Parts: sequence; structure tokens; C-alpha cells
Amino acid sequence: MPAVQETIDRVRKIDVDQYKYGFQTEIAMDKAPKGLSEDIIRFISAKKDEPSWMLEWRLEAYRRWLTLDEPTWARVHYPKIDFQDIYFYAAPKSTPGPTSLSDVDPELLKVYEKLGIPLREQEILAGVQKTDASELEEASDNVYKSGRVAVDAVFDSVSVVTTFKKELAQAGVIFCSISEAIREHPELVKKYLGSVVPTSDNYYATLNSAVFTDGSFVFVPKGVRCPMELSTYFRMNEKNTGQFERTLIIAEEGAYVSYLEGCTAPQRDENQLHAAVVELVALDDAEIKYSTVQNWYPGDAEGKGGIYNFVTKRGDCRGDRSKISWTQVETGSAITWKYPSCILRGDDSSGEFYSIAVSNGYQQVDSGTKMIHLGKNTSSRIISKGIAAGFSQNTYRGQVSAHRKATNARNFTNCDSLLIGDQCGAHTVPYMEAKNSTAQFEHEATTSKISEDQKFYVMQRGIPEEEAIALIVNGFVKDVIQQLPMEFAVEAQKLIGISLEGSVG
Amino acid sequence: MNMHTQPQRTPAETALIDAFGERLSLLPGDGAVMLKRDDAIEAIKHGLPTRRIESWHYTDLRRLLNAVPDFDPAAAVKAIAPIVEGSAVLAVLNGVSNTKVPAVEGVTVQRLTEKLIDGSIAPGLDPYGSDDAIGALNTAFVADGYFVDIADGAELDKPIELQNLQAGGQTHVRLPVRVGAGAKAIIVERQTGDGAALVSSVSQLVLGEGAEVTWLIVQEQPETATHLAQFKAHIGKNAKLTLFVMNAGGKLVRQEIMVKTTGEGADFKLRGINLLAGDTHSDVTMVLDHTVPHTTSTEVIRNVVTGKARGVFQGRINVHQYAQKTNAKMACNTLLLSDDGEFSTKPELEIFADDVVCGHGATVTEIDHDHLFYLMARGIDEKSARGLLVKAFVAEVIEELDDETIVEALEARLDDWFVAHG
Repeated sequence: MPAVQETIDRVRKIDVDQYKYGFQTEIAMDKAPKGLSEDIIRFISAKKDEPSWMLEWRLEAYRRWLTLDEPTWARVHYPKIDFQDIYFYAAPKSTPGPTSLSDVDPELLKVYEKLGIPLREQEILAGVQKTDASELEEASDNVYKSGRVAVDAVFDSVSVVTTFKKELAQAGVIFCSISEAIREHPELVKKYLGSVVPTSDNYYATLNSAVFTDGSFVFVPKGVRCPMELSTYFRMNEKNTGQFERTLIIAEEGAYVSYLEGCTAPQRDENQLHAAVVELVALDDAEIKYSTVQNWYPGDAEGKGGIYNFVTKRGDCRGDRSKISWTQVETGSAITWKYPSCILRGDDSSGEFYSIAVSNGYQQVDSGTKMIHLGKNTSSRIISKGIAAGFSQNTYRGQVSAHRKATNARNFTNCDSLLIGDQCGAHTVPYMEAKNSTAQFEHEATTSKISEDQKFYVMQRGIPEEEAIALIVNGFVKDVIQQLPMEFAVEAQKLIGISLEGSVG
Repeated sequence: MNMHTQPQRTPAETALIDAFGERLSLLPGDGAVMLKRDDAIEAIKHGLPTRRIESWHYTDLRRLLNAVPDFDPAAAVKAIAPIVEGSAVLAVLNGVSNTKVPAVEGVTVQRLTEKLIDGSIAPGLDPYGSDDAIGALNTAFVADGYFVDIADGAELDKPIELQNLQAGGQTHVRLPVRVGAGAKAIIVERQTGDGAALVSSVSQLVLGEGAEVTWLIVQEQPETATHLAQFKAHIGKNAKLTLFVMNAGGKLVRQEIMVKTTGEGADFKLRGINLLAGDTHSDVTMVLDHTVPHTTSTEVIRNVVTGKARGVFQGRINVHQYAQKTNAKMACNTLLLSDDGEFSTKPELEIFADDVVCGHGATVTEIDHDHLFYLMARGIDEKSARGLLVKAFVAEVIEELDDETIVEALEARLDDWFVAHG
């Protein structure tokens, strides 16, 4: 398994600081004043050039939000967030809707280059001449790495560029920023926005509905198999900003789309808020595969700084025989609070949730899923692997429920936790609710540390301890890694190695 | 004190608070005991728990407890025979203990009223936590029960049967039992009656070093009674506790089990069967704390849901930071036999130590069609085949108990239930 060796090498290279995306970039920014009020929402809406119905929608959500209390049920602890001390809108100044890469601030492009995000693949694929041999190599390397992936890059509050738009349009696929979709495809947005996660859903989803600034929009029409992987890359750069993105993916009858999101943020001493909402809609026979590699800044070794990641993700299997699959690799964020869920409304629909949550330092993770079985013959599968190290707390919280009419609902849940060190905690809180005698639910969970036997077995074959542990950890998460698109599986494996740096051996 | 947290009291809450005012002068104990009662009724004044309180998520007591009967001092209780012949019976009849108790060698029995009056029981009256509504209710109203002390090294050859029998009204009983070092005993806790009573019952068990106890809870309340019970135990060094719970009755039932391993080498086994029928709600909630290293536990719960019954099992295993080498396993299997029935389960693991092996499994399903086919292919009609399979499913748990007389006695109770519920 060469990836294991790579993990080790990567881990070794990084001496003190494990977080390699912690750099900051000075870019001229356009910001709204700090704080939240109806005026700020009007400001955001105006900046986005939105139609009046959108503004009304936002204001309604805001008024609703004012009546809600912050949820406290999750096993996470943090000081109260001062919503008046956050910039709700920050955008790089040079982007009045770039039409091509050449319009994008070169500083910004550098950021993405540093992050290894392939925004330049058009050039590569178009065969732009490279004279330098090493550049050529790099270019082909990029092609290999990225395969053919269309990217929507979101920088703080706005989407800076979306690649491969033309080619996707030929297939009938709409892939653009949500702001653009609101302007260009209002009928689709109106029909689906908030139909899975209503504005009143929960505290953070309601806040997001009021102030969301950008995100991605994907529409795959009837019978179309999206010709390439779609991807969004979120970067939080500006100080004291919150990022509130909104993603909406619609797969019409018989359509298929695979989507990946990635995220990073600079290293700062103060905490930053990220409250996103993701809505997926799958109609008859459609399939959506949604993968996340979440690597927000987790805070330093003392638990100072880091991102508060409070996210609402939900997929609606609205059509018969539809399928939604969530895969997540969670390594970043100081606090994670997210439960990608599936509403299995259509008959014979199925939902999947594969998760790896790695926590180290003082990270707190409270994540899991909900599988709500409403239709007949629906099935769901949950595989969750939690790895806790350092002083972190890692909780799996999941709900599986079968409605009275959901005959033959079927669920299999497996959640395993691995503890590394005696200062961390791993918790499992599954809720199973069966209201139907034909429902068949199975749940199993285990918690343990890496067994001495396993370690001994590997080490006596001449493998050093640190490498042995990495090997066992990679084996532990294999079930989930396999679900990721190939390009990202390798990346995810490395990420897990890095996250656990300093805790093994 | 914040009196405004609940905007409006439910009739049940009002009835409980009023009843406390009326009963106050009759309740035994003063000083320290009275202070505990005052604290407890304050907790009730803040409102009964709702589903927003995590530990009551599936049993919204505020909504489900819709009527509280008055105390009925005139109600007469019929005595019942113990499940194992020859047991020493300690009966609490409609909330009142007997003045005469059987003499058993090595066992000291005291009426709880006396312990309440002399105040020596006061420290044990504290509720488990802020969400402990059963503890608070019992502490506020408890008037009687038995205090049982089994001497160090005593080995009882016959079980002790603690009977809590009701005939309507309200009864609030407490049964503290101390088992000395190296002692061995079988204790049966019977909870039954024939009235539409509100029963609160708290059993407290302390196991000394190396003690071995099998404790059986047999709950067969009528489908009109509200039964709120708690079993709390501390298991000392190298002590072993096997707790068997058979829940087979009641309209609204919550059986809490709170167990703590307090000495290295402690072992806890929980075996439970919940037989649910009719339009009832039954909740078994367990919290198990592994607080010291090298302790073990296994829990097996089997549930059968018929009719319109709603069943709940919540089981939480807490492994504290220093409780290394803990080995804890829990399984909860449910047969959901009717479309109107429902079952919710929440098996939790909360682990702060790394060198542990913990696991839980939970299933909810109907009868296996292959098994059914196997039996029917042999000429057994469907109803009998189903009956056989369901009974085998729960009997398996009973058969794990070592003592043959106990197994037979419990199987007899099981048969009774199947006869009554087809």
C-alpha cells in the first residue's frame, strides 16, 4: 500500500505545525459592516443583484431566526458566539463576475495553486504549450490528479470561478454559483431552494437562509449522467468573517451526479463560524453521490482558534428508486456539528452514509446521520469510523426511523471508534425508532484501542511502530475510503495521517 | 428557585404538589429527611420531564402521566405466593410494611419507616441527577419499605422475596439492601397488584467485596397502573451482580437501572425481557458507570412488542477516564409483531478511557420467515409456530440463569403472560 508510506513521509516532513493550509493571503476585500441586521441582509441581497423574492425569503428567515435559541443538545462546548462581531459578507474586490481565468486576481489564483486546486485544467486540456520540461511534468501530474473535475471555487463569501461550464452545458448540466443560479435560473431555485431544509429547520440553517452569500448550484436534467466529477472548493480567508454557503443539487429522473467539496481556512487565534446548508433532491431513478473532505483549520495544540463547523446537510430521495450517498472525511474544524441525512420518501429509494471522523488536539466532533424511512422498501446503510486522539471528543449521533407506512424498511448501521491516548473520548449515541413490524434494523458499534496483538503482528514483520499504527488506522477506515472518488481517496488517506500526527507512537 | 420555568402545570403535576401538602403531616421523618423531601418536591414543581430532556426523550412523562390517583388508605391487598417456594417474603402492602418479618439467619430486616424516623436513611434519599424524576417523586413521598442487611459471609440457601403489592391509590416504596463481603444471596423483587395505582419504587443495593447476588425484578402490574421504578447498585471489589428484569405489565412503565462498578474486578450482568401488549408504554433505561479499572459487564435485552404497545430501551455505558481494561458489551433485540406497535432504542457508549473493549448491538425485526417456514413445513400451524419462536426468543435469556428453580419459576411467569396475551 504505497499510500501508507506516503502518509508516513508526509507526517515526518511536517515538524511542528500539522496544518499546511494555514497561510493567509492579503487580497483587497469588499466587506459589509460587522454584525447582523435587516440592513446587512438587504446589503448582501443587493450586492448579489438578487430579485425581490429572494430578499423577502432571506428577511423571513432572519425574522424567524431572531425567535430561535441556539441548540445545546450536542456534545460540544464553546463560548457563546457573538453574531454582531462577525462580517457576514466579504468578497475579493476584483471579481465583478469573472468570465475567464485571466480576469481573476492573480493573488487568488496563487492561493488555489498553493492549495493544489486545479483551476487551470482548461489550459492543460487545451494543450497550452509548455516549454519548460518540469512544468510539463507538473501539468501532466495535475491532469492525473484531477482527472476531469469541474471546480467551483468559493472564496470567503463569493464564488470566484467555475470551470468546465461550457462542456457541462453541452450535456445539459448546469453547474454554477448559487448567486448566478438565482439570477439565471430563478424558476429552478424557487422550486427547490428550501424544499429539503426549510428556512425554519434549525438555528444555523435559519441563519444560513438569511445570510448565505454563495455556494454551488447543480442541475442535472432528466436522463443525463454528468460527464465529470463536480467539485466545490471553499476557502475562508478574511479575518472575523463567517462563511455561509448554500449548495443545491438537483438530479432529475434517471440522472447521476458525483460531487465533492473540500475546504480549508487560515490559521488564526480566534474562532470563525462556518454554517452551511446543503440540499440534495433526487427524483425517480436518480442518484447523487456527495463526498466531503473537510479540513477547516482545527485550532492549535492548545485548542486556541479553529473553525466552528455547524452544517445542515440533507438529501431528499423524492423519487422512486432514487439513491443518495454521503461520504465524509472529517479531519478539520475545532468543533464539528453536522448530520448529513437522507429522507427516503420514494418507494425503493436508498440512502448511504460513510464517514470517517478524526479528531486530535482539542477538537470536538459531534457528527452522524439521520435516515428517515417514509416510502416502501427503502434501505439505508451507515458506516461510521471515529478516531479520537489527544484531548479530543468524538461523538457519533445517528437516527434511524421507520414510519408506520414504510413497509420493509431496512437499515444496517456499523459505527466503530478507535481511541488513541487516554485523554480523549469516543461516544456513540444512536437512536432507532421502528413504527412498523416489517422494518428490519441492525446496529452495531464497538470502541477499542489498537490492539497490542495487531501492532505486534505488523511490527514483528519489521515495520516500525509509527508505520504499523498508520497501517492499522488505514485498515480501520478502508470501508469508507473505498467510497470516495479515486482521486480523493489518496488525498483523504494522507489527511488522516497528518491529523493524527503527534498522537501515534 | 425559579417558579416560572413551566408556564402551566399539568393536572398531574398539580395533583402531586397538592398531595404533598396533604400528606406532609403523615410522612415519617423530620430534620434531614424533611429537607430532602422539600428539595424533591421543589424539583417536581419545576415540572415533570418532557421529551426535551434527553434521558426522557422517548417517555414524555409530563404528557403521558395524565392523571394521578389520590392516596387510598382503605385499599386492601391480597397476599401472593412467592415465585420460589420457601422464600422469605417481605411484603409491602399498599405502601405499608409488615410489622412481623420472617427471621433468616445472617439477615437483619428493618422497616423503612423506622429508618426514616431516625433519619439514618437520609443520605441515600438524594436523586440521581437533575433529570431524576422518579428519584425525586419517591424521595418526596416515600413512607415505607424494608431495609435489608445481609451479614458478611452469609450464604442464603433460599431467596428473599421483596413484594410491593398495590390495590390502587398511590404507593411510594424504597427497598435498600446491603450485602456484606463474601455474602451470597438471591433476591426477588415482585411488583404487582390489581389497582390503577401510581407506584414509585426505588431499590438500592450495595455489594461488599466478593459478594455475589442474583436480583430478579418481576413486574406484572395490571394494564391500568403507572409504575415508575428505579434500581440502583454499587458493585464492590470482585463482587458479582446478575440482574434479571422481567417487565410484563403496567400502563405506563419506566424501569431505570443505575449501576456503578466501584471496585476492581466487579462484574455486572443484566438480562432483561420486556413483554409489551395492549395500549401501553414501557421504558427500560439503564445507565452503567465503569468507574474503576478491570471491571466487566454484559447486558442482553429482549423485547416483544404486540398490540399498540410502545417500547423503549435506552442503555448507556459510561467508561470513566481511569477505568482502563473495561470490557462492556450490550445487546438489545426486539421482535416487533404488530403494525401498531413501536419500539425505540438508544444504546449509547460514552468512553473516556482508551484501553477498553466496548461494543453494543441492536436489532429491530419481525419473526424470521425462514424459521417460520422451517416449523410450518413440519406441520405446525402458523400461530403455534409463531408462538414457539417468540417464546424461544425470550426464554433464551432466562435459561442463561444458573439456578434451576429460578429458571423454572420465571418460565412459569412467562407462560402466564403468553396465555394471557395469546
